[in-house]
Amino acid sequence: MTGPDEILHLSAIAKTFGEKVALRDVELSVRRGEVHVICGENGAGKSTLMNILAGIHQPSAGVIQLDGRKVEIASPIVASRLGIGMVHQHFTLVPSMTVAENVFLGRHLTRLGIFSDRQAMIAQAAALIERYNFGLDPRTPVRELSVGQRQRVEILKALAFDAKLLILDEPTAVLTPPEVDELIGVIDGLRSRGRTILFITHKLREVKAVSDRVTVLRHGKTISTHFTRDVSEADIARDMVGRDVFLVGRAGRPRTRAFGPTRLRLRHVAITNAAGRRLLDDASFEVRAGEIFGIAGVDGNGQTELSEVIAGFTDIQAGSIEFDGRDVTAVGVPGRQKAGLGFVPEDRLDRGLSVTMSVGENLAATNYALAGLTRHGFVRTDRVEAFTAGKIAEFDIRGAQPSTPAGSLSGGNMQKVVIARELNRDPPLLVVSQPTRGLDIGAAEFIYERIMAAADRGRAVLLISSELSEILALSDRIGVMYSGKLLRVLERSAADEVTIGALMNGSVGAVN
Amino acid sequence: MRRAVVDLLKAIRAPVAAIALTLAIGFVLVAAITDEPVRAYRDLLFANFDSLGNFALFLNRATPLTLIALGVIFSFRAGVFNVGGEGQLYAGAIAATVVGVFLSGLPAIVLFPLAVAAGILAGAFLGWIPAVLKVRLAVDEVVTTLMLNIIVLLFTSYLANQVIRDPTSYGAVSQMLPQKIWLPAFPGVPGATSGIIVAVLLSIVSWVALFRTEWGAQLRASGTNLRFARTIGVPADRRIITAMLLAGGFGGLAGTLYVLGIGHRFEQNFSPDYGLVGLTCALLARIHPIGALATALFYAMIINGAAYMQISTDVPRSLVDLLTGLLVLLMTARLGLRQRQG
Repeated sequence: MTGPDEILHLSAIAKTFGEKVALRDVELSVRRGEVHVICGENGAGKSTLMNILAGIHQPSAGVIQLDGRKVEIASPIVASRLGIGMVHQHFTLVPSMTVAENVFLGRHLTRLGIFSDRQAMIAQAAALIERYNFGLDPRTPVRELSVGQRQRVEILKALAFDAKLLILDEPTAVLTPPEVDELIGVIDGLRSRGRTILFITHKLREVKAVSDRVTVLRHGKTISTHFTRDVSEADIARDMVGRDVFLVGRAGRPRTRAFGPTRLRLRHVAITNAAGRRLLDDASFEVRAGEIFGIAGVDGNGQTELSEVIAGFTDIQAGSIEFDGRDVTAVGVPGRQKAGLGFVPEDRLDRGLSVTMSVGENLAATNYALAGLTRHGFVRTDRVEAFTAGKIAEFDIRGAQPSTPAGSLSGGNMQKVVIARELNRDPPLLVVSQPTRGLDIGAAEFIYERIMAAADRGRAVLLISSELSEILALSDRIGVMYSGKLLRVLERSAADEVTIGALMNGSVGAVN
Repeated sequence: MRRAVVDLLKAIRAPVAAIALTLAIGFVLVAAITDEPVRAYRDLLFANFDSLGNFALFLNRATPLTLIALGVIFSFRAGVFNVGGEGQLYAGAIAATVVGVFLSGLPAIVLFPLAVAAGILAGAFLGWIPAVLKVRLAVDEVVTTLMLNIIVLLFTSYLANQVIRDPTSYGAVSQMLPQKIWLPAFPGVPGATSGIIVAVLLSIVSWVALFRTEWGAQLRASGTNLRFARTIGVPADRRIITAMLLAGGFGGLAGTLYVLGIGHRFEQNFSPDYGLVGLTCALLARIHPIGALATALFYAMIINGAAYMQISTDVPRSLVDLLTGLLVLLMTARLGLRQRQG
């Protein structure tokens, strides 16, 4: 079966954890020198499969062939000896060490067998960086690098091991859009130098941009393998979800109602950090009832600060904030929530939930009074349980019982917990940051529906996202943030990817 | 209601399993030391119940341990690593004693609540200081509570030696409290403090407060993820300060009930490290109020039992240090195992 150009062949791979079946029947064939994408929804088994290839897990059944020979990958060390390099989603770098030291971590080049030969390591690291055009200085400490640069160090580590087959596990999950483009460039460079790359993602745009072939997994099974050029994003999405997916958004649906009164107004809001840098600079805009106002921009241009001043976590140094015409500049977080604010924070682990508390308690947290979950301050456990079970069913929060700790859920399902909790109050003003980060298509589609339904009911929605497609799909008006400034506010009809993309890079002149 | 019972069983199951294993390993050790291992072990575990007198001492030991453990639980649940149990205990004991001695002319019906209130408030004040420092100035509470322990211990030593000392007796002890405000004995057990009833009731009340009220949910949210708590509009700083007031209050109450029910006067060094042992009880019970009652009773049992064992056999009482160390080891080992599975 295996041809000479085939580097990796998996047949009938299965993996079970106790009673849980992670993989049931995976077939995969990777050709030498190609970029092969493995695609699937959260929980489809992508990460399990990669962990098997990296030697972290052992398959329960099936055969792995590398270069036509049957192999058993007993441990990560065996995997690297076989030429399989893995770049994990979460980095394994020592921040205080330099790039070169990280690349050679655990196998320092030495002089006389004892002394670390720093010059040799720097030289070798520099040669690798040069060959693949990574644009790094081997002497820089890793803590001074951006996330995208750190990822390149991870890739360097694998290359220094002389990996023939490089596995990238959801490498773009942590990257900003420009960094994604740079990564795609890096991958092109690796391919042109004959490396074989397995790339895991659930983002369709990347599949089309980066890969030669694509294999789709669903529920632990291989569904299809295609040449990427032969299929459309919709075809891949259908294979992933198992049905047709329509990501239409607001642009495609008829407007049912006019906008109402202004619910949120910011006037000349500014904050400056301790170092004197303007994090938010003269931000003024308003969001009306029934409207979805999208904030586009590359991460780190003031969106976090914007959401936090509206939620009331950060005091502003200039300007004012009004809810429904009432000045809330001096009002604290609880007061703003009483005044009708619902808030979905950008990072669910940071502000969104308590991972050690149960799913039930996380869902109930802001809903005790509203949903009648307490009597005289005492929690009515039967009601909390019914409320939670209802939300779990309504939002399809997989793997959740009311009493399971929220931290045991997958990222996408944690996000559903946060969104279910905030939407339950049906707040007149909803601020949503990065609502679908880490979510698969099916779940994102569902959350888009909910956000649009809230707007259709007359709620004002502020949507902050670094996913341009999301902003374009949902928003009625779009503001673009760059370097703490709200550069421009565009009507949806006047906005397209090119215009906004230029503004995201800070070039106002380009669209004049 | 069924859920509540299941929760309770769950909370008790973990410490009970570790205790059983500890005792089994301990038995092997005892068998290696003495020719009478069965006798030694019987004394260690059951001598507490040989006589009403022994049983009374057992209850007296368990009472402050339970109360301190409950206080620790409130602070830990709110995310404050409060190691000031010992200081809070002493503050409560000295405050109740000072009030009882100086205002001994007042009728019991006034003096008793006054002494109790003074003890609780003194403990609570001692909890309040590190809480406010933590919330307002981000001062590490481990440092402040530890330092306060030393300050309070030295200050009470001064008071006991110079201000309320009983000149007729030997050592640094205060004058006796007027008998009218002594806590009545536990019904049917002369010499035992009825404070144990208070401790049992409060452990149930604490469980309800922490796990069956919205207030408790907010407190635990503040303790598990402060930024989350603030995001959902919980006044987290207030919850943290309240939790520390309660923690200190429980420690103060432990000291108060000790002087009113057991010592009847303030004695310097009256506590064999109740603060630290109470903290251990709370941690071993995975900071669960009902579980803490169980671990406190167990600790009281083996601490007292070790003394009986030493008297009747040649096993030294320090064996109990070994056993408690082993217990800590087993409980934390279990924790580690569970985390890896999850």
